[in-house]
Order: sequence, then C-alpha cells, then structure tokens
Amino acid sequence: MAWDPEKDVIEVIRGPQKAGGAGGLYRAFGETLRGLKTTFGQLRMGVDTIQYPEEKIPVYPRFRGRHQLHRFEDSGLEKCVGCSLCAAACPSDCIRVVAAENTPEHRVSAGERYAAVYEINLSRCIFCGYCEVACPFDAITMGHDFELSDANRSDLIFTKEMLLAEPIERTPLRAEGE
Amino acid sequence: MPRPVEKLVSLTINGNEVQAPAGMMLADAALKYGDVEIPVFCYDAKIGPPVGACRMCLVEIEGIPKMQAGCSVAVTDGMVVHTDTPTVKAAQEAVLEFILINHPLDCPVCDKGGECPLQDNAFGWGGGLSRFIEPKRHFEKPLALSPLIAIDRERCILCYRCVRYSQEVAEDFQLVLEERGADTFVTTFDGHPYVAPFSGNIIELCPVGALTSRPYRFRARPWDIEQAGSVCTLCPAQCNVSFSVRDERVLRVLGRDHEGVDDGWLCDKGRFAYQAIHVDERVTEPMMRDGGELRPVTWELAIESAAKLLSHAGANTGALVGGETTNEEGVLLTHLMRETLGSNDLDSRPGGALDLELLRALNAPKLQASVPDLQYAHAVLVLDCEPVDDAPILDLRLRKGVRHHGVKLLIGSSRPSALDERAAHSARFAPGCGEAFAAALGAELAGQSSASLAEAAGADPADVVALATQLREAGEEVVILWGERLTAGPRRNEGARALLNLADQLGLNDRDGAGLLEIPSGTNSRGLREVGVLPNASIGLGDAATVGRDAEQIGEALAAGDLSAVILLHSDPLLDQPSSALWQRALGKASTVIAHAAFLTPAVLEHANIVFPAESYAEKEGTVVHPDSRVQRLRRSIARQGETRAEWALLAELAARIGNDPKALTCSMVSARIFEQVPFYAGLSLDLIGGVGIRWSEREAAASFPAAPAAPFTLDAPPAAASPNGLLRLGSFRSIWASPEVEASPALAFLHPRQRVEISPGDAARLGIAHGENVTVASNGDSVTGLAHIRAAAPDGTVFLQTSIPKGSAALLEGPLVEVKRS
Repeated sequence: MAWDPEKDVIEVIRGPQKAGGAGGLYRAFGETLRGLKTTFGQLRMGVDTIQYPEEKIPVYPRFRGRHQLHRFEDSGLEKCVGCSLCAAACPSDCIRVVAAENTPEHRVSAGERYAAVYEINLSRCIFCGYCEVACPFDAITMGHDFELSDANRSDLIFTKEMLLAEPIERTPLRAEGE
Repeated sequence: MPRPVEKLVSLTINGNEVQAPAGMMLADAALKYGDVEIPVFCYDAKIGPPVGACRMCLVEIEGIPKMQAGCSVAVTDGMVVHTDTPTVKAAQEAVLEFILINHPLDCPVCDKGGECPLQDNAFGWGGGLSRFIEPKRHFEKPLALSPLIAIDRERCILCYRCVRYSQEVAEDFQLVLEERGADTFVTTFDGHPYVAPFSGNIIELCPVGALTSRPYRFRARPWDIEQAGSVCTLCPAQCNVSFSVRDERVLRVLGRDHEGVDDGWLCDKGRFAYQAIHVDERVTEPMMRDGGELRPVTWELAIESAAKLLSHAGANTGALVGGETTNEEGVLLTHLMRETLGSNDLDSRPGGALDLELLRALNAPKLQASVPDLQYAHAVLVLDCEPVDDAPILDLRLRKGVRHHGVKLLIGSSRPSALDERAAHSARFAPGCGEAFAAALGAELAGQSSASLAEAAGADPADVVALATQLREAGEEVVILWGERLTAGPRRNEGARALLNLADQLGLNDRDGAGLLEIPSGTNSRGLREVGVLPNASIGLGDAATVGRDAEQIGEALAAGDLSAVILLHSDPLLDQPSSALWQRALGKASTVIAHAAFLTPAVLEHANIVFPAESYAEKEGTVVHPDSRVQRLRRSIARQGETRAEWALLAELAARIGNDPKALTCSMVSARIFEQVPFYAGLSLDLIGGVGIRWSEREAAASFPAAPAAPFTLDAPPAAASPNGLLRLGSFRSIWASPEVEASPALAFLHPRQRVEISPGDAARLGIAHGENVTVASNGDSVTGLAHIRAAAPDGTVFLQTSIPKGSAALLEGPLVEVKRS
C-alpha cells in the first residue's frame, strides 16, 4: 500500500488554551507543593546520617573484610603451611603463595613446609571468602576491616607480614543480637 | 624379534562392543578403546608386565566367579566385562579404604597434592569414610633417598612401581622392598643413596607423594604452573620434555611420552639440568674483554664491535658450531660465513671432514633405522659407542628390547659397556680401532679370513668370529647403533667405508626394521650437516662450491696465522675437540674470538674477545633433527633471562651490519626457507612437525636425497693397533655428566665428574696402583692426574680417561700410548 501523505496526520492534544486564574496557579505549583509536603513531613523523623569516618556502622560478625593470617597462640608458629589451596580456590586469582621447607634451625610453621611468600592483591580481591573455606588449617580468615583505600596500587598488595600483623581495630563489631 | 602383528579381538565392556588388540591388558584396552576408566595404582604399561599389587583395578568378568584385576588380564575374544556393578563399586571402596589405612592425610603439605593419582582415585572411586581409628604406622621423614630424591615412607602405598622400575627398566637393581606386610618399606639394597643415570624417573612414576624431587620440593602447585612442551637438547637423544613454568622460570622437567623417541623416560641430566638456566654463573649479557678480563657491555657495543672485527677479518674467519645449535642458527651462520664474509671454513663435526659421498651414503634415508627399531630388531650391534654416556635414553630402549622382545644385543666397543651384562656377546678392541674392527666383522661375514684384521684392531679373533656368527644367525632385522667416533680422526673415511661394507654384508639397505643409527657427538649434529654446516657441503648435503677447512684445519690455520678470527657458536674447542694443545695454540694466536656461550667454559673464559649470551634450550625456538632423521621443533617456554636475545636474530643482525642482510624477520621465516631449500625436507612445515616431530626419511620427499655411491667399497688394510709394550693404550670417553649444565646445576653438581683413570686389575697390579689412588698419566711431556679406578671389566693394556671436563681432560694427552704411574 502506497503512502498517502494526506492520511498521515498527527494529532496533537494540547491542554486548555486559557491561562491565568487560580487554576493556572495550581497548575504551576500544585505538584511542587505536594512534593514539599513529603519533604517537610520527614522533619519529625530526625537525622539518620552517619558521620563517617568519625562515626561508623558496626559490622556483623560474619562480615567479610580484609583477610588475616593467624599463628598458633601457644607456639607462635604460623598456621599457614603454604599449601596454596587458597590460591587454587580464589576466583579472582589474587593470592600468590610460594612455599619453602622448614628446617630445624628455621621453623616457621607447624608442618614440613611454610609460605615463604604470601601475597594478596586486595585491589583484585572480591571478598568472596572462598580462601577461608578452602584453608585446611584455618590459617586465613576474613577480618572486619573494610577501609582499604590507598593512593597506590602496589600498596594494596598485602604481604604475609601485613596479613599476620594484629589488625588495627578500626571497625566496631556488632554485638550478639544487636 | 620383529614387531608383533596386531590382531583385533572384540569384547564387551559395560554392555558396549569394543575392538582391541589381542594381548593388551584390560585396563589399557578399556581406557583406550572403550572410553571406560579402570582405576589403577601399581600398573603402568611402560614398566612392563603387571604385578597386580594394589588390587585397585578389580572388575567382574562373566564366567569367572571372582573379581579379576583389570591390569593383569589380557583381553580375549568374547570377553564380557563389567566395571560399574555394585560388587565392583564395593570392592573399589574397600580397596581404597584399605590403601588409605596407613596413608597420612597430609595432602596440604605433600608435594604431590593436586596431581596425585591417590587423591584422584579416592575422590573418584572411594567411599569417603574410613573406619580405621588405630594409629597409623610411622617412619622417619622426610629422608633423602639420594641428593635428588626425597622419600616419605609413610605415604608409600607399596605399589612396587619404583622397585620394578629399578629392577626391570633401568636394571640398576638398587631399589628393594625390605620387611614384610605393613612394615614393608622401599630402600636401596645396601642403604647407599640411589644414584643412577635414570633415577629421577621414579619421581614421575610414584602414584603418591612418597618419592618427590628435592630440587622441586615445595616450589609450586599444579595450579601455579604451566606446562610447556619442547625438546631437551642436552644430548643427541633429544627426548621430548615438558617444562613446568612458574613466573617465567623452569621449575622442573617432565617427560612427554613419545614412543618414537624416548619411550616416556628421561635421564637425570635431562630431568635436573634445567637448573642451569637460572643460575648466576650463566652468561646473560654480552661481554667484551677489556684489560684481560671479560666485562659486561651493552648489546649495541658488542654487536658493533663484533661486526667490525669480522668484516676486518673477512674471509680469514673460521667457525666452529656446537651440537646445541638449531638448524635455523646453522643456516644463518652459513649465510654469515659463506655469503657475507666469503669464508668456507666452518665445521660442526669435531672429528674432521668426512667425504661428502660417504656422508650421503651414511645418511641415505633407506639405510636409517628408527629408535623403536632398536627394540624390535632381531639383533642390535652397538659399535664404538656407549649409549648410557652418549645418548642415555637409548640404553633403556636396548634393555627393554632384550628383556621384553628377545633382541640379541651384540657389543663391539673399546671401553667396557654398561650393557655388557645384557649382551649376547661383547667384544673389545683397541681405542680408535673401530675401523679395523668393522672391517674384520665385514670380512668374517663375507666368509673371508678376519684374523689379521682382528689382530690389527687389537681384538680377539674368536670374538669377531662369535659376533659375526651371532649376526648371521640372528635374523634379517639388524640395527647397527654406531658412534660418530668410528668416523672421526685421520682414518675417518676408511671407518665409514668399513661400516657401509658391514651394513651391505648384512643387507640392511632398504629393509624395514633394519639399518644404521648413528649417535653423533652433538645434539643436532645430523640437522647441522643436512643444512650444510660443513666445510665440504652446501645446504641439503649438496656439493660445496669451494671446499673449506674442517675443524682441525681451522685450528692449524689459526695457529699458523692463516686465519685471524674464529666464531665459536655453542662450541668450546678445549672441551669438544680431540686435541687441547692445538686449540690452546690456535686460540692464543687468534686475534678475534667471538663466542656464543651460556657458560664461561675454559676457551671462552681465557680466549674470547666478545661473548654473546646463548639462549638456553627452554628459551630457544627452531628445529633440530634427531639422529634417526626425525625433525623436531623447539618452542620458547620461558622469557629469555637477563639481557639474552634470540641468537638467530643476532646472527642475522651481524650479517646485516657487515652488509649482507639475510632478510630474516622471524625464526619461522628461516625454518620455511630451510624446508624450501633442502630438497629432502620439501613440503615440511612447522605445523606438520608439531609436537611429535616427523621423520623425513619416511616421507616421499626423501626420494630427492642426493645419490650416494653404493657399497661394497674396497678397503685398504688398516694400521695395526699400537702395541702397549710396557705403556698403556689411551682410550677416552665422555661421561653423561660431563657438561657445563651439570656443573652449574646445584642439585646435579655432585655428579660432575673429576678425572678418573680407568685401568684393569692386571695393569694396576703390574704398576702397583691401588683403587682410589692419585695417578699421573703422561705422554710426550704432557700429563694429567686423576684418581685410579680399577675396573674389573677393563681390558688389559688400555687406560681410559674422560674428555670434555674443564680440568685434566684426556684431550690434553696425545695417544696412542701413555705412561701411567703413581703420583
């Protein structure tokens, strides 16, 4: 069927042609006032803003923040034996483990081997917690620290010493039932 | 015994009709033809016949009331097998629970974790629960079974694999099981460390983490590494290997099973000498001699200086090419020498140039035996070589042939061979008299008198008669495994003729499963000859326009001042060439010595003006040719270490700077050029070579191999072996461990040989020498000291010394007779 320009008419429906009067005022500000009613209605609810970083929301115990490596409390030996299972489980491939052998003079962990290099690239980590699940010795756990921003990418590669160090308690922990 | 003829039988596995060759073990047949996996621990077809020790492979076979071990039952026609019934499942779970009773659950610390058949089988077929709560057995761990291997006996599941390997494959008879029942443990018979040329294979064989590599210990996990397949170029056997690479470092070397090359085994040099890639001693930046000492310089300065020195020397340049050179580097070097500098003085054979006609005859495709032929032939004659030193992996192949295929092994060598005890007959001749010995054998086979020739060879005439009789009676398929030594030295052409006559007498030409197989002196010697790195041949073994000087003549010309410059491409004449004295003089006189070297070996350290770092075999790309004419491909597996650059590019750059650009932009361009220019490589391509290589002598293009004269040749009488007359004959050999890579590898360095003087008990008694004493060997004023090694098998009247070692090499002495005394 050929296109007939005569039949191709677009109808434009316009509002009332007459301006002015109370109706005009309502049309101009009515919707705005209705919005403001909601706004002012909130005044009585008080302030909900958290003044971060002066003020922090406590995290839940199972919150997955920055990793920690652990030592045995009695012997002080590292729990990590450098088995590299965390690196195998890591979906974002951000863990690097290079193992070495313990010697009687230089004993680092409880097993035959220890992690000579243990690095987590936190700029890649997606905090999924699979490393914690994979670890057969509970040597790595997810901590509660989430304040990890840095000005330098390379500073986000955490070494074994940094992960083993006692974390600075920057984040309040939510108490049971809170 | 010729190759078995495959007869197919049909059997039913889990309800599916499967065709498999008769005699194949059920576990193999099910996996290969039926796509059904029967779990195994103790069985591996390459160790030999099954023992059924672990019981992991139990299956139900209809008609047999009890379950059978799938590894020990050969397939037969009409067999009906079930591998997935509840009975089989229960048996598998029970066996795994039983195996795991004493196995410690220390997978996180165990080096095998992640690539462990026990883990895999427990996960795939195990029940998941153990009822065993009693204490497990305990052993002291980890112990060093040898400096290379750590043993953890708690993890051992007593599958016998390592013991069977030691007893039946390597036949070093060192590993045994001691005690009974649960107390059984693997140890060496005498409690000494397990040191043998092939010990490392047990690491790869062990199905658990009981035997682990000490250099690889805790270095990486399977998911940390990548496997990169390439070829080992440390010896002419060119085993197919796979490098485990982590962070651009080779961490270990595994075998890449190839029936046509290595049969799945590696020698310890191939397995552990990778360490030399990552040591500080390695040359990884260009160096120049400045004030008598080599100092690192920039690439630009080194290349510019080398180009200037070479263009100054022009046609007065010689080149020695070592066996680790690839075909591509060889071709670019001939371009640099012949077309750019106008010199024909280049050689890749240390023994002197062989007549081109004879070289063609020896390399003729119809006369080539393949490596598997060694295992299936009626008889193998090992002539003037020692497989375990010269191409180690062939030693295992010959042992397999003798043990499983009834090969009649015959040995004719001057030095007692490690294979003697497996041989049907071995004969000794005086060092350097291989030609006379081959001639004597040929004469005896032709029905002539061989006594005078045997006499000239310093051999027992009865031995020659016995060998000839055995050869004649063995059958049609005879392989002669011969060493390049036979065609080296002043009578090299006569040696080649005698060998060709012998092959002709045995009718080896154009016979399947028979032929000649050379063990050359260098890894890629065959390839280098075929691409024309010879003074008297052009590419494709064509006639050279001008015949140049061979290695020895280059040395003499340098010493006389006729040549002024020399390029040492992966070659150290003080280690590789027969005469050290000549090369000391030659290199001392040469005004320019340009070396491509990975290590500062004696000649490089003392004489080189410019040293370019050589790529290691894991960094190299290119093609090499196996002695049985298999063209193989090297692939880059790791980044080049330090400042090292591609050597083909360096050779091309040098030629371009001197004014004749070979226009080689990539290495594969050069490969393609070689396949185009060598007539008998026609149609080859890198893709066709692929990961397993291809034997050019089996392709149609082999027909265009240049014509060679046919045997028989007339032989002139060989000179008689020197009569000891109170002195001793000097024999030399190159140990498997005599290489700079072994010396530089921390784990292997303990094996790097010092000079030892092998002498017979009779001679030792006559000279008053005790085992382990310091002795001096002297001739013409030169002398070498070493520890006396009295060897019962050594023939009287001969003393054997090592070559290719940096200190006190046999090359310092001039034969044929030497004086041995206590020092």
